Amino acid sequence: MVQKASIVGVGCTKFGSVLTDPELKGLTFQEMVAEAAFEAMDDAGITPDEIDAFYVGNMLAHTSQVYSHATLLSDWLGLRFKGGFHFDTACSTTNTGIGIASNSIGSGKYKNVLVVGGEILSSVPENYNQLTRKGIDAQTLWGWTDFGVDHVYAYHHSYDVASAYGAIPTMGYMKKYGLSFEQMDETMYYVNKAVRMHASLNPKAMIRQDLEALARSKGYKDSYEFWKSKHNPFFAWPTRLLSALNTADGASAYVISGEPKKYDKKTPVEVKGFHWTTSNYPWYGTDSTTMPQDVIAFREAYKMAGIQPKDIDYLYVHDCMQIHQLEVSEIAGYFPKGQSWKAFIEGRTTYKGDKPLNTSGGRHGVGHAFEASAGSETYHIVKQMRGEAGKVQFSTKPKIAVQHNHGYGMHTAVTVLERGD
Amino acid sequence: MEFRTAKKFYDNLAKGKIYGIRCRKCKKYTFPPLLRCRECSSESVEWVVMKGTGKLHYYSSTMLPAIKFVGEPPSAYGLVEMSEGPVFLTKINNADISSPDSIAKGNKALPLPVKARVRKIAGMDIVTFDIKK
Ligand SMILES: [Zn+2]
Repeated sequence: MVQKASIVGVGCTKFGSVLTDPELKGLTFQEMVAEAAFEAMDDAGITPDEIDAFYVGNMLAHTSQVYSHATLLSDWLGLRFKGGFHFDTACSTTNTGIGIASNSIGSGKYKNVLVVGGEILSSVPENYNQLTRKGIDAQTLWGWTDFGVDHVYAYHHSYDVASAYGAIPTMGYMKKYGLSFEQMDETMYYVNKAVRMHASLNPKAMIRQDLEALARSKGYKDSYEFWKSKHNPFFAWPTRLLSALNTADGASAYVISGEPKKYDKKTPVEVKGFHWTTSNYPWYGTDSTTMPQDVIAFREAYKMAGIQPKDIDYLYVHDCMQIHQLEVSEIAGYFPKGQSWKAFIEGRTTYKGDKPLNTSGGRHGVGHAFEASAGSETYHIVKQMRGEAGKVQFSTKPKIAVQHNHGYGMHTAVTVLERGD
Repeated sequence: MEFRTAKKFYDNLAKGKIYGIRCRKCKKYTFPPLLRCRECSSESVEWVVMKGTGKLHYYSSTMLPAIKFVGEPPSAYGLVEMSEGPVFLTKINNADISSPDSIAKGNKALPLPVKARVRKIAGMDIVTFDIKK
């Protein structure tokens, strides 16, 4: 009999910038990760000596200046001599970690596993000293990040991520479902309105201004006029800049246990199923709305969990480009094909709606700290299940939630979680 | 098995030849060439010169080019369905990206036939496409 695994504790730092955010300023990578890890351990009511192993996600060693992360973090986390390793599926990493930790527990080897993710994207150490950091420009950052895409062929062939991950999937949706540019643009406005509204209500999010406040700050009374203005240019037509991620610094963590009854301070969240898939470039064929690796990952994760799309109370999908809120939620079966765009316009995806989606703010609102971000989404899902989600708490606590993430290149991780009370 | 697939591909591009592989088992093409068929994983593949024709389905252009292309003029990036089947994304030489409206208009006219052209871009010979006018 395979031992069941449950999330018994979660932690997450404020997402923002180590250069400017008072909550993050002056922290080394090690300390930032420890802050999230200690919150997760306290949340679970577990002490370091009860943790058997810990797995660490972090993508850019250029900014963290860490290799062999578990070694360098062991004594900072109070986990010296415990088992541990660095693992990496890029931006899906801390979703993937749920399955890895569950497997370790399921095998009977470990009882309690800590998973942490940390990322710093604002800056690099000067003189190899983490305590003196200087900001980096977007192109340098993406030069390193793009090691996540095929550098034998794809990158040299004029590689353009804004078109590949944003514009072409968006045009595919318009074409497949007969939406005009104006309809699509209006839909993406409503998507971003929900993204920023949720972020503004999330004290851990980097973005604290909703779309209306942002519009007002630029002199616009009408946020849709602002959406269409020069302040929101096309990143790659038809995708506007506000439909893209905002890079952030931050860390997240969770404790997964095979003994949820022992750590019952909070409602445990059982890991019901998961699946991972990989695909090198290109990520889709002539139908740019659908990545086949997503289709397989959802199908197999649902099969493992014994659920169907109709059972899902809450869905969190990877929204590095917000078009994927539409496309992936349809692949997940949360909305019928070609129908999700209407749900965004009707406000059904907000925390007050009947089909809540990404209600902490996603990769634009919370901010995208590559290998820490999926863990911040898990953090939020667990909080929703416990009724601890603050201002964005649903009126009914979700029983079944599904979390989807893309990891650059393209990795897909899908995890099915169930409230354990 | 010859493992120097990428070297053979790029060396031949310099000579104007665009190679892919064709699977002896499932008969499908893989482009650019890999060690095994991308469709069925068979290692029984043969090198074939691609026709260099296909259909352009979508294109756009980023305001933030990848760092390798910072010194290059703004570029159109498009999705081409090659005549042999594989989908390939690369530079489209003569697609209009002068304004958002021109990208919108350009995409309305798609799909359109394209023809491959090897060009040296940012220091490397790569496969690009021209829209046939
Ligand atoms: Zn084959």
